[in-house]
This record gives sequence, structure tokens and C-alpha cells, in this order.
Amino acid sequence: MTPPTPPPPTPTDPTTSSDLALLEVSSPVARLTLNRPDARNALSLDLLTALHARMEELEKREDITVLVLTGAGKAFCAGMDLKQVLNVPGAPARLLSSLGEFTLRLRALPMVVVGRVNGAAIGGGCGLACVCDFAITHADSKMGFPEVDLGVCPAVVAPWLVRKVGAGRARRILLGGGLMSGQGAFEAGIVTQVVPTAAELDGAVEELVQRLASGGPHALRATKRLLNELDGSLDAGVVRRGAGLSASVVEMPETQAVLRTKLGM
Amino acid sequence: MIRTEVSGAVGRVILARPEKRNALTPAMLAGIVAAVAELEKTCGAIVLRGEGEVFCAGFDLTLCREDKGVMGELLTGLSRVVRALRRCTAPVVAAAHGAAIAGGCAMLGGCDVVVTDAAAKLGYPVVRLGISPAVSAPTLRLLTGDGPARERMLDPGLIDGRRAAAIGLAHECAETAAAAIERAEAIAADLAAKPRGGMAATKRWLNELDGTDRDEIMDAALAASMALVGSDEERTRLAQLWAKQDRKQ
Repeated sequence: MTPPTPPPPTPTDPTTSSDLALLEVSSPVARLTLNRPDARNALSLDLLTALHARMEELEKREDITVLVLTGAGKAFCAGMDLKQVLNVPGAPARLLSSLGEFTLRLRALPMVVVGRVNGAAIGGGCGLACVCDFAITHADSKMGFPEVDLGVCPAVVAPWLVRKVGAGRARRILLGGGLMSGQGAFEAGIVTQVVPTAAELDGAVEELVQRLASGGPHALRATKRLLNELDGSLDAGVVRRGAGLSASVVEMPETQAVLRTKLGM
Repeated sequence: MIRTEVSGAVGRVILARPEKRNALTPAMLAGIVAAVAELEKTCGAIVLRGEGEVFCAGFDLTLCREDKGVMGELLTGLSRVVRALRRCTAPVVAAAHGAAIAGGCAMLGGCDVVVTDAAAKLGYPVVRLGISPAVSAPTLRLLTGDGPARERMLDPGLIDGRRAAAIGLAHECAETAAAAIERAEAIAADLAAKPRGGMAATKRWLNELDGTDRDEIMDAALAASMALVGSDEERTRLAQLWAKQDRKQ
């Protein structure tokens, strides 16, 4: 009998996992920061693992009413780190599955979640903005779903965008690909508020967070729970099927060829 | 009366009965289904448009005057067109120029992207004739949400292109009918240039998410419209329409 082949090593991030997702709590507000600024906070397996660990903490906390999700540096989140997984068999499926599970946990958090979209929110990154209950950006940020331009399928984020903007508008956005400005994202309904410049972002986030935090914590939790039930947010099956579909498209030879060219590999 | 064209990676399905404002016959509806099936084999995107001033004025009801069975054929044919547009692997862009009324408006629900123009007239005046637009309810409510869909299906009045874009019935509103066609062509060319495997998978997934891949939803909507075919109300109101048309002549 030949021993089983060990799985190929997954490239790891130099920083430790807890540093990749920073959690600061100042009850009743908490801030979760994607902290991989050199990679524009692209979602690697390590970053997602760190985010999952933070979810575990947040799911237990009863003293937090509002969570702010944001990115360190200039970008909010540049999307899936496809470069890292492209040549590793099985890795796209693990990455997409981890993203799918993260979106479900983020949505199911009992506290109100505000996306502070400080810069580029692309593909899976724009999907995270859709999962948040609120999202604020500035007029010049770059947002959108360019998956179809790369030959991949935005299947994990599609259910979240459909819930956010409706099926008809989501279809136009996802099949059209490309990017839009923060102002465009506001007009499309992807973000709930836009400020003219990046310098005005923190003031607007602070104002919204304070207003939200003035609500009764139990009333907010009960309302969010009901909204999640009504719009099917707790249907894990659809997100899991989406992750499987998305991974199967990434692993198609046609897609791999397009990705190598477009990502310059 | 259905013409197809191919230029580059874009295919066109053109309703070509301009002298009747592209009013739909059962043969035209079957022709659209066949044209889409043919074009999707080679094209990366499809444009659906009309020849002449308007996209489509709806069913050619004069056919129902001679043959009582035609109404059922028209409704069934329309339901097949909406499913064919939706399930075609290539994305479909509609140019709803000038007018998209009743059956013409219903076809928009099958399309992935809809462009109209500011002066275009859209809506479902058919309840006045005792005909139910229920056949297109599943796709209309996906475009506009439930509130505006209810309003549009129950109110026989028409809305203009700007209002259509505001409620989501159209994705874009151009200034003129010519500009709407031009814009639909440009969007189709852009979509057609993208890798096809990912595009087809994404469209299929969106159909699964919104339920338009499920025949039972589409069948139930068709059945609701079919249930009124040949009803006293429909016959009386159509007879009034014929009498009015005869007086005009």
C-alpha cells in the first residue's frame, strides 16, 4: 500500500492569523478590520481563517450593538486571492467554501453590521459590503463584480446582491461585470450611503454608528433576526451550492487559461 | 416576420412586422424561440428589438376575431418565448424602443438587460379586454419588486420610459428610440466579448436563484391567464373592440 499523498502546501501569510483580522471592542461598538493592506486585503485562506476566529468571538458577545467592518490601508477588500490558489488543486474550492461560510456567519451576527467601505471593494469584497446591514463609502471608491470579465462566476455573492438590490438589477450588474464608482454603487443600491470624499467617511460612519447604537439592543437584535428570516438570509444551502459552482467554474480549463493571462501568471 | 442577423459575436432577433407595430402572431412567437435557439449556438450575446418605430405593440388580436383558439396559442407562445430568452446560455439585451405593450412588455421579463427610451410607452392595458397579464407576473415582479408589479398588472394605464427605468422594468432609459437601440447594441457587444463559460454559468445560477428555471412557476402563471380564455367577460369586451374598430373603418 502506498501512503496517501499529503495535500500540497498552501502558501501562508507571513503575519499571524490574529493580526490578519483585527478586532477592537469599545462596548457597545466593535470594529473588525481586514488587515492585509499590502495585498489590498484580498481574501486569502489565512485571512478568512482569521475572520472566522473573530466571528466565534463576536457570536458570543452580548455587549455589542454595532459592528463596523472595514479594511486597513487604502482598499476595503480586493476580493478573492485567486493568484494564491490557482495552481493548487482543491484550493479554490476551500477558499470559496470558506468565503461562503463567512458571509453566512457575518449575516447571522446578532449585532447590526456597518460596512465602512474605505476604498476598493471588488468581487468578494463588494459581496461583503452587500452582506453588511449598512454600507457607507465615498464617491471615488471602486466597487463592483468583475468576475465575468475574468471568466469566473460570482455565485457566492449573487444571493447577497439579489437580496440587496433585487433580482432584476442584480442580473444587470453581475452579467455586466466591470467596476463602478462609490457614487454608482450608491445609485445601484449596493451601499446605503455615500459621502463626497474619503476624508468625510469617518464622520459619516461615526454619526450612523452612534444613531444605531442609540437603539434598544434587544429591539435591534429581534428586528435583524426577523429580517434575516424573511429574506432567506439563513438559507445556508444556497450559499454552499454557490461556492461549489463558483469553484467548479474556476477549475474549468477555459477559465484557468483566462485567469493566467488576466492575472499575469 | 422574425429576422435574425449576426454581426461579430452579437446576434439579433428582430420583430419584422413594422406595418402592424410588430404585433405578435403565434408564428412570430415560435419564430423567436427558434431564432434564439439558433443564435445561442454561436453568439456571445443577443439583441431583441423591433423593426420600425416601436419594439412591439402586443398580440395581434385581430387574429382572435376569426379563430377563437388563437388567444390560447398566443399566451402559450408568449410563455415559451419568455422561458427561451431566460434559459438561452447567452445574455439577452432588449431594446424596448417606442412601445412595449402587453405581450411586448411581457417579453422584457425574459431578458437580462432592458433598455428603453424616454418617450416609450410600456404596460399592460389588457385587463380592459378581460385578458389577464398573469403569464408575465413571475418575471415582472423580479424586475420591479412586488409593489410596482402589482400596480402595473392591475392598472391598464401605460407608463413612459423614464418611469419604467425608475421602477426597474428597464435598466436604462435613453433619450430617443434610436439611442435605445444603439445602447442595447453596445451593451450586447460588451457582454459578448466576455469569456462565455463564466457568463453562461452566472446566468444559469441567477435563473436558479430567482426561480425562472422552474417550469412549475411559469406554468402556474400561464394557467392563470389561460383560465380566462373564452370567458364571457373576454368575449363581450373583445366584441366591443371589434365593433369599435368597424365603426372607425
